[in-house]
Amino acid sequence: MSPGPSTAEEPWPVRTVTRKIAEWIDRLGAVWVEGQLAQVTARAGTGTAFLTLRDPVANVSLQLTAPMGLVAEQREVVVEGNRVIVHGKPSFFPGRGSLSLRVDRIRAVGLGELLARIERLRRLLAAEGLFDVARKRRLPFLPRRIGLVTGRASAAEHDVVTTARARWPAVEFRIENTATQGGLAVAQLVEALEVLDRDPAVDVIVLARGGGSVEDLLPFSDETLCRAVAACRTPVVSAIGHEPDTPLVDHVADLRCSTPTEAGRRLVPDLAEETARIAGLRDRGRRALHGWVDREQRLLDSLRARPVLADPLRDMARRHEELERLRASTRACVERRIDRESREIGHLQARLTALGPAATLARGYAIVQRDTGAQVRPLLRSVGEVAAGDALRIRVADGVVRAAVQDGADE
Amino acid sequence: MSERKPVAELGYEQARDELVEVVRALETGGLGLDESVALWERGEALAKRCEEALAGARERVEKALSDAED
Repeated sequence: MSPGPSTAEEPWPVRTVTRKIAEWIDRLGAVWVEGQLAQVTARAGTGTAFLTLRDPVANVSLQLTAPMGLVAEQREVVVEGNRVIVHGKPSFFPGRGSLSLRVDRIRAVGLGELLARIERLRRLLAAEGLFDVARKRRLPFLPRRIGLVTGRASAAEHDVVTTARARWPAVEFRIENTATQGGLAVAQLVEALEVLDRDPAVDVIVLARGGGSVEDLLPFSDETLCRAVAACRTPVVSAIGHEPDTPLVDHVADLRCSTPTEAGRRLVPDLAEETARIAGLRDRGRRALHGWVDREQRLLDSLRARPVLADPLRDMARRHEELERLRASTRACVERRIDRESREIGHLQARLTALGPAATLARGYAIVQRDTGAQVRPLLRSVGEVAAGDALRIRVADGVVRAAVQDGADE
Repeated sequence: MSERKPVAELGYEQARDELVEVVRALETGGLGLDESVALWERGEALAKRCEEALAGARERVEKALSDAED
């Protein structure tokens, strides 16, 4: 039954090759596989459903065939986008020359299981320090260009762009549209991140997506995506889902916004608000300066109002009065002094008069002295004391006259 | 009474003090007549000097006051 080795001269027919491959593959055992359902083709009336199972991280997929009965039974599980675990046996279909996994069991990856996996990954990444506050970078106050990663024509894109533009009309976006759920999402998100991170004009990157089920948001808790975000040189903002949704990428991002609208607010300053703030600051500055001037003015006014400055002459008048007083008293002093001295001199004069010959002189007598040149001139008491020519000094009541002896004694 | 300065060279206090001395000496007595007359003349001169000094002082006060009032 087995033909000899194939040669150019004796090639094998197709049927032989496909049979051999089918036999070889048929020897493989059954496996459990986990993946994401990318496509489901299950037409009613046919016996077999065709499914595509995709690897959530790598761009790799596998065809599945399943009996329609099984698909119908698992109607809630067999939905495009769902994570599933299937049990099947690799089979080769000679008719189309295709390989597929003939599935006999399908089960959903439970929500609990998904959450437990996310939790394990969360702990791992936290232990590695990817969530550390110290790693968070500040967003630029006003980015030159914003890189936006979001679904094509999505509400998230609209919310981010509209909100940011309303605040800062000149804002510039570079938008990379990707799948934001399903099997292709992670690879496309990571690629978009890398593209934007390489653009030197992009100062901040936003990952935006609207709300969804835990399964829908799974790409944003993916380890590859989280590590790609951590590796970005550009600050990354996450804006995934609604308020209660916190995929792991929220922890890795430099800023976590609860919604795309909030991201739009946080990315750019509000032009009107900033203008108002500057006006407010300017106003405060002006008021402070006015206040300062007013305060100084009041101080100056109060100083001016002080008596010394308000009525400088008052103090001078007081001093003038004092001066007058002093002057009057010095005057009185000196006058008293002069009077006292005068009285004393008067007394002395009176005593001198009483002691001296003034009274006798007043009656017409005279004192005649010989003017010998000595200090004490002797009185002339006898004619014999003088000769002709001798100088005499004659004192009468009101003064002294000088005389000379004409003749000697006349007796 | 040996070194008697000319009265005109004496200050008011010197003249007054000497006048006091002259009066006391004359009151005490015991001097010769010549000396007494000489002393008395000196006394009159001293008294005159003192009065002049006081009159000068009084004049200066009045002048200063009248100047100040102008």
